[in-house]
Amino acid sequence: MDDDSKGSHLSVVLDLSPTHWELSSRDAPENTYPLTLATFLSQLLAFLNSHIACRHENTLAVFGAFPGKSIMLYSSSNAVLDSLSTDVNANSYPPFNIVDSTVVQRIMTELDSLEEHQEEAPTALVGALVKALCYVNRITLPTSSNSKTQSNGFHPGVLPDPRILILSVSPDLSTSYIPIMNAIFSAQKLKATIDVCQIYGPNTVFLQQAAHLTGGSYIFLERRDALLQYLIMSFLPPPSIRKTLSVPTQEQVDFRAACFCHKKIIDIGFVCSVCLSIFCQPLPVCTTCRTKFPMKTLQRLNAARPLLATGNSTRPSQSRMSTAGGPVTNNGVGGAPAAPHGGGQIANGNTNGARCVFHLG
Amino acid sequence: MPSISLTAPTVLSSSPHSLLPFLQSQSQTTLTRLYQRPSACLSIFRLLAPLQQQIVMNLLWLESAIASSTMAAWVVREGKKHYDTALSTLFRLHILSTSPIKLALNPTFKTSFRQALTGGGTTGSFGAPAPNDDKHPPMGIDGLDGYALERWETILHYMVSSGTGQNSMRPSKDVLYLLQRSGLMASPHGSLQITSAGFQFLLHSPHAQLWDLLLQYLRMAEERGMDLVEVLSFLFMLSTMELGREYSTEGMNGTQAAALTQKAMLNDLRDYGLLWQRKPSSRRFYPTRLATTLTSSSPPLPTSTGPSSGPKEGFIVLETNYRVYAYTDNPLQTAVLNLFVALKYRFPNLVVGSITRDSVKKALSNGISAEQIISYLMAHAHPQMRKNNPLLPVTVQDQIRLWELEKNRLKSQEGYLYTAFTSPADYELVLNYAKQLDVVLWENAAKRCFFGSLDGHANIKGFIERRTGGNA
Amino acid sequence: MPRRDGEYMGVDSDSDISVGGERKGKGKDKTDKRKKDKAKTKATEAESDHLQAAYTWEASYTRSWDTVREDEAGSLQGAVEDWMARGRRRRLLAPAAPVRRTIIRHLVLLLDLSTSMLDRDMRPTRFDLTLQYAREFIVEWFDQNPLGQIGIVGMRAGIGERVGEMSGNPQDVLKAIADRHKLEPTGEPSLQNSIELAKSSMSHLPTHSSREILIIFGSLTTCDPHNIHETLDACVATKIRVSVVALAAEMKICRELCDKTGGQFGVAMNEGHFKDLLFELIPPPAQRALSRAAGAGATNPAADLMMMGFPTRLPDASPPSLCVCHSQLRSDGFLCPRCLAKVCDVPTDCNICDLMIVSSPHLARSYHHLFPVKPYSAVLSMADASTSSGCHGCARVFPLVALAAVSEGMSAVGRYRCPDCRGEFCSDCDVFVHDVVHCCPGCGQ
Repeated sequence: MDDDSKGSHLSVVLDLSPTHWELSSRDAPENTYPLTLATFLSQLLAFLNSHIACRHENTLAVFGAFPGKSIMLYSSSNAVLDSLSTDVNANSYPPFNIVDSTVVQRIMTELDSLEEHQEEAPTALVGALVKALCYVNRITLPTSSNSKTQSNGFHPGVLPDPRILILSVSPDLSTSYIPIMNAIFSAQKLKATIDVCQIYGPNTVFLQQAAHLTGGSYIFLERRDALLQYLIMSFLPPPSIRKTLSVPTQEQVDFRAACFCHKKIIDIGFVCSVCLSIFCQPLPVCTTCRTKFPMKTLQRLNAARPLLATGNSTRPSQSRMSTAGGPVTNNGVGGAPAAPHGGGQIANGNTNGARCVFHLG
Repeated sequence: MPSISLTAPTVLSSSPHSLLPFLQSQSQTTLTRLYQRPSACLSIFRLLAPLQQQIVMNLLWLESAIASSTMAAWVVREGKKHYDTALSTLFRLHILSTSPIKLALNPTFKTSFRQALTGGGTTGSFGAPAPNDDKHPPMGIDGLDGYALERWETILHYMVSSGTGQNSMRPSKDVLYLLQRSGLMASPHGSLQITSAGFQFLLHSPHAQLWDLLLQYLRMAEERGMDLVEVLSFLFMLSTMELGREYSTEGMNGTQAAALTQKAMLNDLRDYGLLWQRKPSSRRFYPTRLATTLTSSSPPLPTSTGPSSGPKEGFIVLETNYRVYAYTDNPLQTAVLNLFVALKYRFPNLVVGSITRDSVKKALSNGISAEQIISYLMAHAHPQMRKNNPLLPVTVQDQIRLWELEKNRLKSQEGYLYTAFTSPADYELVLNYAKQLDVVLWENAAKRCFFGSLDGHANIKGFIERRTGGNA
Repeated sequence: MPRRDGEYMGVDSDSDISVGGERKGKGKDKTDKRKKDKAKTKATEAESDHLQAAYTWEASYTRSWDTVREDEAGSLQGAVEDWMARGRRRRLLAPAAPVRRTIIRHLVLLLDLSTSMLDRDMRPTRFDLTLQYAREFIVEWFDQNPLGQIGIVGMRAGIGERVGEMSGNPQDVLKAIADRHKLEPTGEPSLQNSIELAKSSMSHLPTHSSREILIIFGSLTTCDPHNIHETLDACVATKIRVSVVALAAEMKICRELCDKTGGQFGVAMNEGHFKDLLFELIPPPAQRALSRAAGAGATNPAADLMMMGFPTRLPDASPPSLCVCHSQLRSDGFLCPRCLAKVCDVPTDCNICDLMIVSSPHLARSYHHLFPVKPYSAVLSMADASTSSGCHGCARVFPLVALAAVSEGMSAVGRYRCPDCRGEFCSDCDVFVHDVVHCCPGCGQ
């Protein structure tokens, strides 16, 4: 098998909702383990560097989901172009330097440019995810336009075992149900694995399904001080060696869907037999395909509705992470001060952002 | 793993990088000194197998040691064997400190590797970039590639042509010495001739060839009074450098001995094409692609100097009728093909030939094996060929193997021929005796002779003497 | 033998030496003659091969140079782009409004298992090829019709034979035709018997689901006990749509079956065409146009609203319990959201409360039919382009110079713009977004 010799591709999708990161960084009693965006970024960068460190051929792309928009923060194939213009020093590996500074710099620029009223908007996680898929599609499809990047040591013919890692802090956005589902199916077609780490907030039903359907892991982060250790143990191993490890799997997968009419997440719904649209209550006409439903079905279903009253209540959060080799993660993570060299400030206006984080520590 | 990208894919995953056994044979102090440099840690980490890497990563950010049983629980039962071998390799490399119950990284390695990942520190082990040079325009990546390719192909071309008697450019004396020491070439009659190991070497991927030579270089290093740690860390530093950037020799730290070693290495590696200097005395240098891809498995060199840009994955088309079409105008590739293909035509970008019994026999007699020919053809197959399954026509593969078997058709055995028996009875008698001893290799009753093996001779001779003596 | 159809033959055997017209005539003669004395096929074929060099495998190579044309610079780029342009135009023509499609489908696959399937005009034999394509068809069909069910009926030795029961699980269906030795062709086929069998296996289905029969027919005869036209009328009455892919030639009764029931009829000319014909039947058929013509408000009698539950999947490691469907002790399974009974597999009807349990991803697979992404418009010139330097999706850098000549619908600067978010995409992403993801990266929906 060639998995060992060839690198693997990792696309990371970051949920950068200022509101939720603000909530996440509040101290006890609101959070047992507060996690600020700065600490998160410093741990994330260590993780990204670890991925690049594993193989010379490993490729990386980072996408950011900001309120209302998504952008690509870094990609290894585009980075080569401007790498020579950046500063290097003798104490660090140039590729790490480029990743760290580009990612931090772009995040800061974007966050600074956000205006007050925009911060509340839901993040464009779907947009970022679809961009990640487009990128995976681009690197798995060798096309004529890729030939230029070839000379930079990037081989489009090689399929680098694509993975997408979503680091989410926001709760489910039920309007994005259909796009997320579409994204999941295209990931399946691309044979890409979607891993999910829910860093803050409640479990998300949709992302759980994404991980389950693409064969990835879903982790609900409990000890947020040990983020890096979680990331490394669960998401660093490429798919080729995951079968020899007990990577966390999901206990229960919630297969609920969002209805088309009120975007509510529901247990039991009413489905149009023509277009399969889901509704949370019986309707006389399908809003999607405008099919009229027979009167007697409506009466029958309306009669059955009271039974559903309990069914529609929110389901208790049932999913949590488990490892088959349980003690490892618990002990290992618990005992580990996971932050590399402590996290300093990020927003100090220095262009050499990422590096500063570590030096200050 | 990079070094073995040529051999059959099934062998690929299991065999470790060729440098690792060498490192394992080094003492703990040598390795610990080496691990003081973040760049060396990073490069060695890259050479490890994925599972080994994962183990290192799991332990990297832990402050305290972790019980081995805890760690082992993280591997599923089927992966146990795999996991144990991974651990033992890490122990032998002294990346894990030796303790049966608790697992922890070698503290030196841990500190340096953390530093490599997060940056910082003052070791300067990733090479000091030279300040901008106003006098000279910077060297482009294409120029560097061209230089590396030219140097490397000079060496290979010299090896190929030494057998044919053609004259080609001679590489420097040091290179020749290295080739001779590594047994790739030998001088039985005064002039250097390629050996059978050398022929095999030619069919390896450039990456494997490079490491073959470098390993030999490392073995020689100590004889030449060079500090092995310095040599290794210089190599690793090169491998973490950035292609197309100029580095200065000034920043290199260390004692005077270290400085001398580095100076010598700069010269040597320039000969191999790993780095480029404007002039030998220059205080700055560019690493070439050969150097920067040392720890990767990507083909280190663009294989074609032809008009098409970028490295070509493969160029050989092999048909079921044994014809070979090689889309190349590279003399070296042509020469290598000439080792086992009867070339017919040459066009500006195409060489046509066919695999014949004679051409393969010639290769076999040079010590090249059928498997090597097949794996070479596979590794350099044209992208169009890669659509076929199996990649090469089965008939051709089988035939090449059969030709190899043909070589082993004759088996020689020493012995004695017994002839001139006076009567059929005598012949029968001796033959029967010999048959009882099970030493008859061949017999012919009509000619009254048989052939007995060497170890039976004394007995048969004694028997005949006894018989004739008895008769007389 | 349609594969040797005169015209087809004429075009394809057109070698570079001869002139098309004359050769065409010859081809036709040959074919006609061959039709007459089928017994001597082998000799004739050898002769005709000698004359026309028309082995089947040659067909795919003939005049391949006509399909691509180099531009002045000798590059094939233009030809490739042309292909893509064709795809784009097709997409632009497609209606933007949601199309109503039948998604809950029931299909009976009727396989001809008569001796005529042993004919070797398709490689390796018609029978083996049919099995192979049937497997691919089933996989792809379930991918696009996740809530559908397939049953398999074989026709051999004059009777219809139930090979596989109606099932919604692709694995079950595939298993039914996995063993070719159990399906070894014998005897004559009977269309009537097997259609009756297929019809009876679909008789219990509710009105809102579509009923289809797909016949792969290699024979030129059918051996029926009664009047097959009565069966045909019964199919029309029960709204069963019959489609036929014939491997030999067109038969009047087959054509009539399809025409009257609204199915599709096709004769496979070669292996590739066979596959095309088969795979054309995979996408869910659009609802019959009549209700639309009568106005959007008209009630479609087949439409219905169904109550469905979305279950929770239990992990493999959960404590084992009895399932309600097989009464077996197992740890994995799905919980009915209404009565919390445990069932083994979805989609199914809950054995306790009779709720239809489906996994929502199953439903979601078909949503891209409902909300297609609006087609992107080509950015025609540099002046029109926005300031972004790379594709909004994959960040590939756009070309800086415009191509001199492009075909209609293609962008000279390689940019395609989403009408909603105004994001600009490269042509690869354009295709990927519309054909695979069905979600614009800029708009996020």
